[in-house]
Amino acid sequence: MTQYKRVSGDAVEYEVFARKTRGEPLHQVGSVVAPDDDLAVAYARATYDEERWVEMAIVRKEHVIELWRPGEP
Amino acid sequence: MSLSDLVLSIADNKQMLGLRYAEWATRAPSLEADIAAAAMGLDDLGHSRVLYGCLEPLGEDPRGPGRESDAGSLRSLQYFDAPWTEWAQFVAANAILDSAFTVMIEACVSGSVEVLQHRLRKMLMEERYHFLHGRSWLKEMGDSPAVEQAWREALEWFGPDGGELGRRLAAKLERPEPKLKIDWSKWDPIRRRTLPGAIDLRTFDMLRGLEEQRYGITGAEAPARG
Repeated sequence: MTQYKRVSGDAVEYEVFARKTRGEPLHQVGSVVAPDDDLAVAYARATYDEERWVEMAIVRKEHVIELWRPGEP
Repeated sequence: MSLSDLVLSIADNKQMLGLRYAEWATRAPSLEADIAAAAMGLDDLGHSRVLYGCLEPLGEDPRGPGRESDAGSLRSLQYFDAPWTEWAQFVAANAILDSAFTVMIEACVSGSVEVLQHRLRKMLMEERYHFLHGRSWLKEMGDSPAVEQAWREALEWFGPDGGELGRRLAAKLERPEPKLKIDWSKWDPIRRRTLPGAIDLRTFDMLRGLEEQRYGITGAEAPARG
């Protein structure tokens, strides 16, 4: 089968956030891997459709700025 | 050609598009694309049910008894006659044909028929994700024979007076509309295509519930295979 470069090499990781009601905070529900924002949006919507979310957002993992991680003071 | 004929054509085409999408739910190039194929398949099958449901309130149901015996009386495009063998065919249908149906639905939603204005609106929200999926994959795949075929069938489906719809589709895809020669003398205004033909027998049997009988789901005896 043809190898599509977007399936392996160029793919970017995105974190998926959602909430069910306006009252609750956005929380991470999972992640998707895609070569561009358009496809990441389509994949996130198709993959995390188990709830009637009132809001869903994705962010490139590389854009998340970490303050600290587990095991660090 | 009445409005009901057009709505039935969108319904039959979305039903077939949904089925062909679903066939790729375990064959797409990645797990994410598998899931997207399944989700889009469900969406389009759901859209076809809503569209069939609009026929009664429109006051005219053009579905004749032939639909139970003759696959050629269904109004789907040649593109859906046989299962797709290449991912490129999936992508071209997803980007171009699915968007062509959306362009027509947008026209219905902004038109003056109330039942269509109300019932078709939700489809456009779901179709936004089909469009993003198709456009992104089309960028990767570039031009292919499937892309030209999909364009040809989209333009045939819009019809001889569908120039404005063709321009809207090109604008949506941010691509120039290809200059294709279409022999309108062969155009069937009911099926909105120029070539005869019909969907494959297995799919037609499935639509009529005969495949279920073969697997004993209904408990009835399996029909002889023609």
